[in-house]
Amino acid sequence: MIVKEWCMYCGECAGVCPRSLIEVRETSLNFNEEGCKDCRICIQVCPVKALAKEE
Amino acid sequence: MKLIETDVLVIGAGPAGSSTAKHAALNGAEVILMDKKSEIGAPKRCAEGVSKEGLKKLGIEPNSRWVTKELSGVRLVSPNGTDVWMKEDQVKLPEAGYILERKVFDKFMAMEAARAGATIMIKTLAKGMRKENSGYIVSCESMGEDFEIKAKIVVGADGPESRVGRWGGLKTTVKPKNMESGIQFEMCGLEMEDPDVIEFYFGSVAPGGYAWIFPKGEDIANVGLGIVSTYTDKSAYEHLVEFVKNCPATKNAQPVELNIGGDPVGGMLKTLVADHLMIVGDAAGHVNPLTGGGIITALEAGMYAGEVAGAAVKDEDFSEKKLKEYQEKCKTEIGDSFEKYLKTKDYMLSLSDSDLDSIALAFQNTEFENISTKELIKLLIKVSPKALLKLGKLF
Repeated sequence: MIVKEWCMYCGECAGVCPRSLIEVRETSLNFNEEGCKDCRICIQVCPVKALAKEE
Repeated sequence: MKLIETDVLVIGAGPAGSSTAKHAALNGAEVILMDKKSEIGAPKRCAEGVSKEGLKKLGIEPNSRWVTKELSGVRLVSPNGTDVWMKEDQVKLPEAGYILERKVFDKFMAMEAARAGATIMIKTLAKGMRKENSGYIVSCESMGEDFEIKAKIVVGADGPESRVGRWGGLKTTVKPKNMESGIQFEMCGLEMEDPDVIEFYFGSVAPGGYAWIFPKGEDIANVGLGIVSTYTDKSAYEHLVEFVKNCPATKNAQPVELNIGGDPVGGMLKTLVADHLMIVGDAAGHVNPLTGGGIITALEAGMYAGEVAGAAVKDEDFSEKKLKEYQEKCKTEIGDSFEKYLKTKDYMLSLSDSDLDSIALAFQNTEFENISTKELIKLLIKVSPKALLKLGKLF
Protein backbone atom coordinates (compact mmCIF):
# COMPACT_ATOMS: atom_id res chain seq x y z
CA MET A 1 0.00 0.00 0.00
CA ILE A 2 1.25 3.47 -0.80
CA VAL A 3 0.63 5.97 2.02
CA LYS A 4 0.77 9.48 0.63
CA GLU A 5 2.67 12.20 2.41
CA TRP A 6 -0.55 14.00 3.43
CA CYS A 7 -1.96 11.06 5.42
CA MET A 8 -3.07 12.35 8.83
CA TYR A 9 -3.18 8.95 10.59
CA CYS A 10 -6.83 9.34 11.56
CA GLY A 11 -7.32 5.57 11.50
CA GLU A 12 -10.53 5.45 9.48
CA CYS A 13 -8.89 2.92 7.15
CA ALA A 14 -8.08 0.67 10.10
CA GLY A 15 -11.66 0.90 11.37
CA VAL A 16 -13.12 -0.54 8.16
CA CYS A 17 -10.41 -3.08 7.30
CA PRO A 18 -12.31 -6.39 7.42
CA ARG A 19 -9.14 -8.32 8.20
CA SER A 20 -7.73 -5.92 10.79
CA LEU A 21 -4.47 -5.53 8.91
CA ILE A 22 -3.72 -1.89 9.61
CA GLU A 23 -1.89 -0.63 12.68
CA VAL A 24 -2.18 3.12 13.26
CA ARG A 25 0.64 4.80 15.11
CA GLU A 26 0.91 8.49 15.96
CA THR A 27 2.72 9.32 12.73
CA SER A 28 2.78 6.12 10.70
CA LEU A 29 0.56 3.37 9.30
CA ASN A 30 1.69 -0.24 9.21
CA PHE A 31 -0.01 -2.53 6.69
CA ASN A 32 0.15 -6.30 6.89
CA GLU A 33 0.33 -6.66 3.12
CA GLU A 34 0.46 -10.46 3.21
CA GLY A 35 -3.09 -10.81 4.53
CA CYS A 36 -4.57 -8.18 2.18
CA LYS A 37 -7.29 -9.46 -0.18
CA ASP A 38 -7.31 -6.25 -2.23
CA CYS A 39 -10.85 -5.20 -1.23
CA ARG A 40 -9.70 -1.55 -1.30
CA ILE A 41 -12.23 -0.43 1.30
CA CYS A 42 -9.45 1.43 3.10
CA ILE A 43 -8.73 3.42 -0.07
CA GLN A 44 -12.44 4.16 -0.58
CA VAL A 45 -13.10 5.64 2.87
CA CYS A 46 -9.97 7.78 3.31
CA PRO A 47 -11.23 11.37 3.81
CA VAL A 48 -8.20 12.85 2.03
CA LYS A 49 -7.47 10.10 -0.54
CA ALA A 50 -4.08 9.41 1.00
CA LEU A 51 -3.96 5.69 0.20
CA ALA A 52 -3.22 4.02 -3.12
CA LYS A 53 -2.54 0.47 -4.19
CA GLU A 54 0.79 -0.41 -5.78
CA GLU A 55 -0.12 -1.59 -9.30
CA MET B 1 10.88 -8.28 29.51
CA LYS B 2 9.43 -5.89 32.07
CA LEU B 3 5.95 -6.88 33.28
CA ILE B 4 3.60 -4.42 35.00
CA GLU B 5 0.51 -5.76 36.77
CA THR B 6 -2.75 -3.88 37.25
CA ASP B 7 -6.44 -4.51 37.82
CA VAL B 8 -7.74 -2.48 34.88
CA LEU B 9 -5.89 -1.36 31.76
CA VAL B 10 -7.71 1.25 29.67
CA ILE B 11 -6.33 1.66 26.15
CA GLY B 12 -7.13 5.09 24.69
CA ALA B 13 -7.41 8.35 26.64
CA GLY B 14 -10.27 10.07 24.85
CA PRO B 15 -13.42 10.98 26.81
CA ALA B 16 -14.56 7.33 26.99
CA GLY B 17 -11.21 6.03 28.21
CA SER B 18 -10.61 8.78 30.75
CA SER B 19 -14.14 8.45 32.10
CA THR B 20 -13.72 4.68 32.43
CA ALA B 21 -10.37 5.09 34.17
CA LYS B 22 -11.71 7.72 36.55
CA HIS B 23 -14.75 5.72 37.61
CA ALA B 24 -12.86 2.42 37.89
CA ALA B 25 -10.31 4.15 40.14
CA LEU B 26 -13.04 5.83 42.20
CA ASN B 27 -14.53 2.38 42.70
CA GLY B 28 -11.31 1.02 44.16
CA ALA B 29 -9.53 -0.53 41.17
CA GLU B 30 -5.86 -0.11 40.36
CA VAL B 31 -5.96 1.49 36.91
CA ILE B 32 -3.57 2.27 34.07
CA LEU B 33 -4.77 4.61 31.31
CA MET B 34 -2.59 4.61 28.19
CA ASP B 35 -2.62 6.51 24.92
CA LYS B 36 -0.46 6.11 21.84
CA LYS B 37 -0.30 9.86 21.26
CA SER B 38 2.20 12.26 22.76
CA GLU B 39 -0.56 14.74 23.61
CA ILE B 40 -3.95 13.68 24.93
CA GLY B 41 -6.74 15.41 23.00
CA ALA B 42 -4.68 16.29 19.95
CA PRO B 43 -5.32 16.21 17.11
CA LYS B 44 -9.02 16.63 17.65
CA ARG B 45 -11.31 14.57 15.47
CA CYS B 46 -14.68 16.16 16.09
CA ALA B 47 -16.78 19.31 15.90
CA GLU B 48 -16.55 19.73 19.71
CA GLY B 49 -20.25 20.26 20.46
CA VAL B 50 -21.90 18.93 23.62
CA SER B 51 -25.33 19.41 25.13
CA LYS B 52 -25.78 21.29 28.39
CA GLU B 53 -28.09 18.57 29.65
CA GLY B 54 -25.53 15.90 28.87
CA LEU B 55 -22.82 17.51 30.98
CA LYS B 56 -25.32 18.17 33.76
CA LYS B 57 -26.46 14.55 33.79
CA LEU B 58 -22.84 13.45 34.25
CA GLY B 59 -22.18 15.98 37.00
CA ILE B 60 -19.48 17.78 34.98
CA GLU B 61 -19.37 21.51 35.72
CA PRO B 62 -18.67 23.64 32.62
CA ASN B 63 -15.22 25.17 32.93
CA SER B 64 -14.04 28.32 31.17
CA ARG B 65 -10.74 26.56 30.40
CA TRP B 66 -12.46 24.23 27.95
CA VAL B 67 -15.75 25.86 27.00
CA THR B 68 -15.08 28.17 24.06
CA LYS B 69 -18.66 29.14 23.32
CA GLU B 70 -22.07 28.91 24.92
CA LEU B 71 -24.74 28.67 22.27
CA SER B 72 -28.12 30.28 22.12
CA GLY B 73 -29.70 28.65 19.11
CA VAL B 74 -29.70 26.40 16.09
CA ARG B 75 -30.04 27.19 12.38
CA LEU B 76 -31.03 24.44 9.95
CA VAL B 77 -30.35 25.11 6.27
CA SER B 78 -31.84 23.13 3.38
CA PRO B 79 -30.12 22.70 0.00
CA ASN B 80 -31.77 25.75 -1.61
CA GLY B 81 -30.88 27.95 1.39
CA THR B 82 -34.24 27.86 3.14
CA ASP B 83 -33.33 28.24 6.78
CA VAL B 84 -35.06 27.56 10.07
CA TRP B 85 -33.94 29.50 13.13
CA MET B 86 -34.53 28.29 16.66
CA LYS B 87 -33.32 30.74 19.28
CA GLU B 88 -33.20 30.58 23.05
CA ASP B 89 -35.45 33.63 23.41
CA GLN B 90 -38.18 31.83 21.46
CA VAL B 91 -37.89 28.21 22.57
CA LYS B 92 -36.36 26.05 25.26
CA LEU B 93 -32.90 24.80 24.35
CA PRO B 94 -32.22 21.66 26.35
CA GLU B 95 -29.82 20.15 23.80
CA ALA B 96 -28.01 23.05 22.22
CA GLY B 97 -25.08 23.67 24.45
CA TYR B 98 -21.38 24.33 24.45
CA ILE B 99 -18.54 24.19 21.98
CA LEU B 100 -15.49 22.75 23.68
CA GLU B 101 -11.76 23.05 23.16
CA ARG B 102 -11.10 19.32 22.96
CA LYS B 103 -7.35 19.71 23.33
CA VAL B 104 -8.00 21.13 26.78
CA PHE B 105 -11.12 19.14 27.66
CA ASP B 106 -9.58 15.73 26.95
CA LYS B 107 -6.56 16.59 29.11
CA PHE B 108 -8.91 17.83 31.83
CA MET B 109 -10.75 14.49 31.78
CA ALA B 110 -7.48 12.55 31.88
CA MET B 111 -6.38 14.69 34.84
CA GLU B 112 -9.65 13.82 36.56
CA ALA B 113 -8.76 10.14 36.07
CA ALA B 114 -5.27 10.76 37.46
CA ARG B 115 -6.67 12.60 40.48
CA ALA B 116 -8.98 9.63 41.10
CA GLY B 117 -5.88 7.43 41.28
CA ALA B 118 -5.24 6.20 37.73
CA THR B 119 -1.71 5.95 36.35
CA ILE B 120 -1.37 7.61 32.95
CA MET B 121 1.04 6.45 30.27
CA ILE B 122 1.31 8.64 27.15
CA LYS B 123 3.10 7.85 23.90
CA THR B 124 2.46 4.19 24.68
CA LEU B 125 1.19 1.86 21.99
CA ALA B 126 -0.62 -1.43 22.58
CA LYS B 127 0.70 -3.81 19.94
CA GLY B 128 -1.24 -6.97 20.74
CA MET B 129 -2.56 -9.08 23.59
CA ARG B 130 -2.83 -12.67 24.66
CA LYS B 131 -5.18 -14.28 27.13
CA GLU B 132 -4.17 -15.94 30.34
CA ASN B 133 -6.44 -17.54 32.90
CA SER B 134 -6.39 -14.52 35.15
CA GLY B 135 -6.68 -11.85 32.43
CA TYR B 136 -4.80 -10.49 29.45
CA ILE B 137 -1.15 -9.70 28.85
CA VAL B 138 -0.84 -6.69 26.56
CA SER B 139 2.36 -6.08 24.58
CA CYS B 140 3.29 -2.42 24.69
CA GLU B 141 5.89 -0.07 23.28
CA SER B 142 6.83 3.34 24.60
CA MET B 143 9.74 5.54 23.54
CA GLY B 144 11.63 2.60 22.10
CA GLU B 145 11.04 0.29 25.08
CA ASP B 146 9.04 -2.94 24.81
CA PHE B 147 7.22 -4.17 27.89
CA GLU B 148 4.06 -6.01 28.92
CA ILE B 149 1.09 -5.16 31.10
CA LYS B 150 -0.91 -7.89 32.79
CA ALA B 151 -4.48 -6.78 33.51
CA LYS B 152 -7.50 -8.49 35.01
CA ILE B 153 -9.68 -6.34 32.77
CA VAL B 154 -8.66 -4.66 29.52
CA VAL B 155 -10.88 -1.83 28.28
CA GLY B 156 -10.65 -0.93 24.59
CA ALA B 157 -11.32 2.81 24.27
CA ASP B 158 -9.21 2.99 21.16
CA GLY B 159 -11.61 4.75 18.84
CA PRO B 160 -13.31 3.72 15.61
CA GLU B 161 -10.16 1.93 14.49
CA SER B 162 -10.31 -0.25 17.62
CA ARG B 163 -8.05 -3.25 17.53
CA VAL B 164 -8.39 -4.17 21.19
CA GLY B 165 -11.91 -5.54 20.71
CA ARG B 166 -10.80 -7.52 17.67
CA TRP B 167 -7.84 -8.99 19.57
CA GLY B 168 -10.35 -10.17 22.16
CA GLY B 169 -12.67 -11.71 19.57
CA LEU B 170 -15.31 -8.94 19.44
CA LYS B 171 -16.67 -7.81 16.10
CA THR B 172 -15.69 -4.14 16.01
CA THR B 173 -15.01 -3.78 12.29
CA VAL B 174 -17.16 -0.98 10.88
CA LYS B 175 -18.85 -1.47 7.51
CA PRO B 176 -18.11 1.35 5.02
CA LYS B 177 -21.81 2.32 4.91
CA ASN B 178 -21.68 2.87 8.67
CA MET B 179 -18.45 4.86 8.75
CA GLU B 180 -18.91 8.56 8.24
CA SER B 181 -15.79 10.30 6.94
CA GLY B 182 -15.54 13.47 8.96
CA ILE B 183 -13.43 16.42 7.91
CA GLN B 184 -13.23 19.92 9.29
CA PHE B 185 -11.37 23.18 9.13
CA GLU B 186 -11.08 25.41 12.14
CA MET B 187 -11.41 28.80 10.45
CA CYS B 188 -11.23 32.48 11.23
CA GLY B 189 -12.73 35.46 9.41
CA LEU B 190 -16.17 33.90 9.16
CA GLU B 191 -19.14 36.11 8.45
CA MET B 192 -21.81 34.28 10.43
CA GLU B 193 -25.30 35.69 10.70
CA ASP B 194 -25.21 34.95 14.42
CA PRO B 195 -21.99 33.69 16.05
CA ASP B 196 -23.95 32.21 18.97
CA VAL B 197 -25.87 29.79 16.77
CA ILE B 198 -24.75 26.41 15.43
CA GLU B 199 -25.60 25.79 11.80
CA PHE B 200 -26.41 22.53 10.01
CA TYR B 201 -26.57 22.17 6.22
CA PHE B 202 -28.39 19.21 4.71
CA GLY B 203 -28.61 17.47 1.34
CA SER B 204 -26.16 16.82 -1.47
CA VAL B 205 -23.66 19.23 0.07
CA ALA B 206 -22.64 16.26 2.25
CA PRO B 207 -23.86 12.94 0.79
CA GLY B 208 -24.76 10.51 3.57
CA GLY B 209 -24.27 13.11 6.29
CA TYR B 210 -24.46 16.87 6.78
CA ALA B 211 -22.26 19.95 6.98
CA TRP B 212 -21.86 22.13 10.05
CA ILE B 213 -20.60 25.45 11.33
CA PHE B 214 -19.92 25.33 15.08
CA PRO B 215 -18.85 28.79 16.32
CA LYS B 216 -15.92 29.07 18.71
CA GLY B 217 -15.70 32.87 18.72
CA GLU B 218 -17.06 35.97 17.01
CA ASP B 219 -15.41 35.09 13.67
CA ILE B 220 -14.00 31.64 14.52
CA ALA B 221 -15.71 28.28 13.92
CA ASN B 222 -15.28 24.61 13.21
CA VAL B 223 -16.49 24.23 9.64
CA GLY B 224 -16.88 20.64 8.60
CA LEU B 225 -18.91 17.85 7.15
CA GLY B 226 -19.38 14.13 7.30
CA ILE B 227 -20.01 11.99 4.25
CA VAL B 228 -20.46 8.27 3.67
CA SER B 229 -18.11 7.03 0.98
CA THR B 230 -20.73 4.72 -0.54
CA TYR B 231 -22.84 7.79 -1.45
CA THR B 232 -20.22 9.75 -3.41
CA ASP B 233 -17.15 9.39 -5.59
CA LYS B 234 -15.55 12.55 -4.21
CA SER B 235 -13.43 12.59 -1.07
CA ALA B 236 -14.66 14.26 2.10
CA TYR B 237 -11.94 16.87 1.58
CA GLU B 238 -13.24 17.73 -1.90
CA HIS B 239 -16.76 18.15 -0.53
CA LEU B 240 -15.48 20.39 2.26
CA VAL B 241 -13.50 22.64 -0.06
CA GLU B 242 -16.61 23.03 -2.24
CA PHE B 243 -18.79 23.80 0.79
CA VAL B 244 -16.41 26.42 2.15
CA LYS B 245 -16.17 28.08 -1.27
CA ASN B 246 -19.95 28.29 -1.73
CA CYS B 247 -21.22 29.03 1.78
CA PRO B 248 -21.71 32.79 2.37
CA ALA B 249 -20.41 32.52 5.94
CA THR B 250 -17.13 30.84 4.98
CA LYS B 251 -16.22 32.00 1.49
CA ASN B 252 -13.89 34.70 2.86
CA ALA B 253 -12.68 32.72 5.88
CA GLN B 254 -9.21 31.22 6.30
CA PRO B 255 -8.33 27.80 7.75
CA VAL B 256 -5.95 27.50 10.70
CA GLU B 257 -6.37 23.78 11.32
CA LEU B 258 -7.50 20.67 9.42
CA ASN B 259 -9.04 17.72 11.26
CA ILE B 260 -10.16 14.37 9.92
CA GLY B 261 -11.50 11.15 11.33
CA GLY B 262 -14.02 8.36 10.99
CA ASP B 263 -17.30 8.43 12.87
CA PRO B 264 -18.97 5.03 13.37
CA VAL B 265 -22.67 5.82 12.87
CA GLY B 266 -24.07 2.31 12.61
CA GLY B 267 -25.38 2.23 16.18
CA MET B 268 -24.11 0.55 19.32
CA LEU B 269 -22.44 -2.83 18.83
CA LYS B 270 -24.39 -5.82 20.15
CA THR B 271 -21.53 -7.27 22.14
CA LEU B 272 -19.38 -4.96 24.25
CA VAL B 273 -17.82 -7.46 26.64
CA ALA B 274 -16.10 -10.82 26.88
CA ASP B 275 -14.26 -12.45 29.77
CA HIS B 276 -11.75 -9.86 31.09
CA LEU B 277 -12.61 -7.44 28.24
CA MET B 278 -14.81 -4.39 27.64
CA ILE B 279 -15.03 -1.86 24.80
CA VAL B 280 -16.31 1.69 25.16
CA GLY B 281 -16.80 4.93 23.21
CA ASP B 282 -16.32 5.02 19.44
CA ALA B 283 -14.87 1.49 19.63
CA ALA B 284 -18.28 0.32 20.89
CA GLY B 285 -20.37 2.46 18.52
CA HIS B 286 -21.34 4.92 21.26
CA VAL B 287 -22.10 7.56 18.64
CA ASN B 288 -25.56 8.96 17.92
CA PRO B 289 -26.26 7.52 14.44
CA LEU B 290 -28.29 10.57 13.43
CA THR B 291 -26.10 13.43 14.64
CA GLY B 292 -22.71 11.71 14.77
CA GLY B 293 -22.23 13.20 18.23
CA GLY B 294 -20.44 11.00 20.72
CA ILE B 295 -18.72 12.97 23.48
CA ILE B 296 -21.50 12.76 26.04
CA THR B 297 -22.36 9.13 25.30
CA ALA B 298 -18.66 8.23 25.49
CA LEU B 299 -18.39 9.88 28.91
CA GLU B 300 -21.60 8.22 30.07
CA ALA B 301 -20.65 4.77 28.81
CA GLY B 302 -17.20 5.22 30.35
CA MET B 303 -18.82 5.94 33.69
CA TYR B 304 -20.83 2.70 33.49
CA ALA B 305 -17.78 0.74 32.33
CA GLY B 306 -15.66 2.10 35.18
CA GLU B 307 -18.29 1.36 37.79
CA VAL B 308 -18.75 -2.22 36.60
CA ALA B 309 -14.98 -2.75 36.30
CA GLY B 310 -14.54 -1.48 39.86
CA ALA B 311 -17.26 -3.82 41.12
CA ALA B 312 -15.71 -6.72 39.19
CA VAL B 313 -12.38 -6.10 40.92
CA LYS B 314 -14.06 -6.02 44.33
CA ASP B 315 -15.95 -9.26 43.59
CA GLU B 316 -12.92 -10.82 41.86
CA ASP B 317 -15.28 -11.78 39.06
CA PHE B 318 -14.06 -10.83 35.58
CA SER B 319 -16.39 -13.10 33.67
CA GLU B 320 -18.40 -12.04 30.65
CA LYS B 321 -21.52 -12.55 32.76
CA LYS B 322 -20.34 -10.02 35.35
CA LEU B 323 -19.14 -7.48 32.77
CA LYS B 324 -22.47 -7.76 30.95
CA GLU B 325 -23.90 -5.50 33.65
CA TYR B 326 -22.11 -2.73 31.75
CA GLN B 327 -23.47 -3.88 28.40
CA GLU B 328 -27.05 -4.00 29.71
CA LYS B 329 -26.74 -0.52 31.23
CA CYS B 330 -25.45 0.84 27.92
CA LYS B 331 -28.28 -0.82 26.03
CA THR B 332 -30.94 0.68 28.29
CA GLU B 333 -29.45 4.15 28.68
CA ILE B 334 -27.88 4.62 25.23
CA GLY B 335 -28.48 1.81 22.72
CA ASP B 336 -32.28 1.72 22.70
CA SER B 337 -32.57 5.39 21.68
CA PHE B 338 -29.89 4.83 19.04
CA GLU B 339 -32.15 2.28 17.34
CA LYS B 340 -34.73 5.02 16.75
CA TYR B 341 -32.12 7.49 15.54
CA LEU B 342 -30.75 4.86 13.16
CA LYS B 343 -34.17 4.47 11.54
CA THR B 344 -34.55 8.26 11.38
CA LYS B 345 -31.17 8.55 9.69
CA ASP B 346 -32.15 5.96 7.09
CA TYR B 347 -35.30 7.96 6.42
CA MET B 348 -33.38 11.26 6.17
CA LEU B 349 -30.95 9.72 3.70
CA SER B 350 -33.87 8.69 1.49
CA LEU B 351 -34.89 12.34 1.01
CA SER B 352 -33.95 14.30 -2.10
CA ASP B 353 -32.77 17.90 -1.98
CA SER B 354 -36.27 19.07 -3.00
CA ASP B 355 -37.86 16.95 -0.22
CA LEU B 356 -35.54 18.67 2.28
CA ASP B 357 -36.43 22.11 0.88
CA SER B 358 -40.15 21.36 1.31
CA ILE B 359 -39.64 20.20 4.89
CA ALA B 360 -37.58 23.30 5.70
CA LEU B 361 -40.36 25.46 4.32
CA ALA B 362 -42.93 23.67 6.46
CA PHE B 363 -40.65 24.08 9.52
CA GLN B 364 -40.41 27.82 8.83
CA ASN B 365 -44.16 28.11 9.29
CA THR B 366 -44.23 26.17 12.54
CA GLU B 367 -43.93 27.42 16.08
CA PHE B 368 -41.46 25.54 18.25
CA GLU B 369 -41.69 24.97 21.96
CA ASN B 370 -38.58 22.96 22.54
CA ILE B 371 -35.40 22.01 20.68
CA SER B 372 -34.04 18.53 21.02
CA THR B 373 -33.25 15.88 18.46
CA LYS B 374 -36.35 13.98 19.55
CA GLU B 375 -38.61 17.04 19.37
CA LEU B 376 -37.32 17.90 15.90
CA ILE B 377 -38.14 14.39 14.69
CA LYS B 378 -41.63 14.69 16.16
CA LEU B 379 -42.04 17.93 14.25
CA LEU B 380 -40.73 16.28 11.09
CA ILE B 381 -43.42 13.63 11.47
CA LYS B 382 -46.01 16.38 11.82
CA VAL B 383 -45.03 18.23 8.63
CA SER B 384 -44.16 15.28 6.39
CA PRO B 385 -46.68 12.52 5.56
CA LYS B 386 -43.79 10.34 4.35
CA ALA B 387 -42.07 10.74 7.72
CA LEU B 388 -45.30 9.85 9.50
CA LEU B 389 -45.41 6.56 7.62
CA LYS B 390 -41.75 5.74 8.29
CA LEU B 391 -41.27 7.09 11.78
CA GLY B 392 -44.73 7.60 13.27
CA LYS B 393 -44.62 4.51 15.47
CA LEU B 394 -41.14 5.23 16.78
CA PHE B 395 -41.64 8.67 18.33
